[in-house]
Amino acid sequence: MKGELSKLASLWSVWLAGAVAVLVPTVITWLNSFMARGAGPDRGYQELAFGVMGVIILGVVAVSSEYATEGPEAGGGRQITTSLTAVPSRLRFLAAKAAAVALVAALLAVVAMAGTMSLAAGSSVEVTRLAGVVCYWTYTALLAFGITVLVRHGVVPLVVLLVNTSLVSMTFLLSKTFPVFSFTPDMAGARMFVEPNDSTVDISPLLGFLTMSGWVVVVLVIAAVVFTRRDA
Amino acid sequence: MWFSRGLGSLNGVITIDGLVKRRGKTEILSGVGFQALPGRVTGFLGPNGAGKSSTLRILLGLDRAQQGTALVNGVPFVSLADPVRTVGAVLDGSGAHRSRTGRAHLRWVARSAGLPLSRIDEVLELVGLADAGSKRVGRYSLGMGRRLALATALLGDPPVLVLDEPLNGLDPEGIRFIRTFLRERAESGRTVLLSSHLMGELAETVDDVVVIDRGRIVAQGTLAEVTGAHRSLEEAFFALVSR
Repeated sequence: MKGELSKLASLWSVWLAGAVAVLVPTVITWLNSFMARGAGPDRGYQELAFGVMGVIILGVVAVSSEYATEGPEAGGGRQITTSLTAVPSRLRFLAAKAAAVALVAALLAVVAMAGTMSLAAGSSVEVTRLAGVVCYWTYTALLAFGITVLVRHGVVPLVVLLVNTSLVSMTFLLSKTFPVFSFTPDMAGARMFVEPNDSTVDISPLLGFLTMSGWVVVVLVIAAVVFTRRDA
Repeated sequence: MWFSRGLGSLNGVITIDGLVKRRGKTEILSGVGFQALPGRVTGFLGPNGAGKSSTLRILLGLDRAQQGTALVNGVPFVSLADPVRTVGAVLDGSGAHRSRTGRAHLRWVARSAGLPLSRIDEVLELVGLADAGSKRVGRYSLGMGRRLALATALLGDPPVLVLDEPLNGLDPEGIRFIRTFLRERAESGRTVLLSSHLMGELAETVDDVVVIDRGRIVAQGTLAEVTGAHRSLEEAFFALVSR
C-alpha cells in the first residue's frame, strides 16, 4: 500500500489526473457564477459529475503504467515484472493498488467538492449528497481501474470512459431509448447526488448506490480472478 | 541428486524440476529441471526462443507452468516470506516506468518491501548510477536501464540473484562490470543464476552450465564437464544444439 501510494505520487499523469479532478468542476462552476442563469440549486453537483474525469485518468494510469512497455531500444521491459517480484501475491498487489486508487480518488473528491461548493451560489450543502459525490468518484476510479486490469492497456478505456463522461454520453442517450441503460454505473451512480432531469426510470439515491456498488464488486471480482490466473 | 540434500542446506538453492509449459498448442518447456547452488554462478544457456525466459519467469512466479516445480529455499517464489530480501530479479529492460526518476522507482520498491530508504543511495552507488538517480528513466541509455534493474534487484541484498540476459545491449565496460560483479556475489557465498545466448562472453564468468534447446535441457554440469573435449564452451554449445 505504501509502495503503491509512492508509485502514484511519482507519476506525472497522476498529478494531471488530480489537476483535472479539482480544476474542471471548480473552474466551470466559477465561470458559471458569472452567468445568472448558471446558478441553480443543483449546479455545483452537476459539475462534480463532470470532474469525475480526473479520477478516471487516475484509475486507468495506475494500472496502465504497470504495463507500459519501454521502447525496444530500452530493452522492452515492463514495470509489472518489478511489481510482482516485489509483491508476488497477486491479490495483495491488486488490493494494495485498488486501496491506493480509492484513497486518492476520495481525497480528490473532497478537495474538488470544497472548491466547487464554495463557488456554486445557490447549491445547498447536503451531507448525504456530498457523501454521494465521494462515493461516485471513488467507485468510478475503481471501475476504470478494474477495466484497465482486464485490457492491460490505457488508451481504450481512457478514451471510452472520458468520451462517455464529457462529450457524448452513450449511456445517457441509450437510456432514453432503452430504460435498462439507466442502470449503467455512471447513470445509476450519479443519482446519489443529482436529480434525474428527464430519466425514464426513477432511481432513488439508495438504489443508485446499490446499483453502482454491484457494478464495482462485479468488475473488481472479474479483474481479480483474471489477474491472478493469467501470466503477468 | 537434489533430494539427498538435507532441508537445512536449501538456503540459497534454486531447484527447478519437471517444468512443462504450453502456450496454446505449442509446448515451450518439456520437463525442464536443474539446480543453481550458493557460491556459484550458474549459466543458463540456449538459443533465442529455447525457453530460458519462460523458465525464469515461472521461477519468479510471473508465469504459470502446467506441470513441475520451481523452488527457492525449498518453497515457490510466491510463498517466500520476504521475497525482496531473498531473491533479486533482473528481467527485460529497466523494469521501471519511463516517467519516474531512477530514485523514485527504487523508492516505491523499498517502500513496498519495507526496506530502509537509505538503501536507495547505496545501491545506486553500487551499480554506478549515483549521478543519474534524479534523471527520468525515459532518458536513460539501455546500459543505464540495465544498471537500474540491477540496483532494484540488490535493494534487499538478497542471497539469490536471477538475471535474464543481463549482458544484452551492454557496452564492453558494462559487460565487464556485470561479470566482475556477479563473480564477487558468488564468491561471497550467494547464488547467481543468469541466462544468456552469448556463450563467448560467459565462459570466464560461470562455474556451472545448463544448456537448454527447444524446451529441453540438453546438458548440465560444471563448465569443464559441459565443455568436455571441445575447444571452448561456444563450440560445445553449437555441438549440443546443432540439428
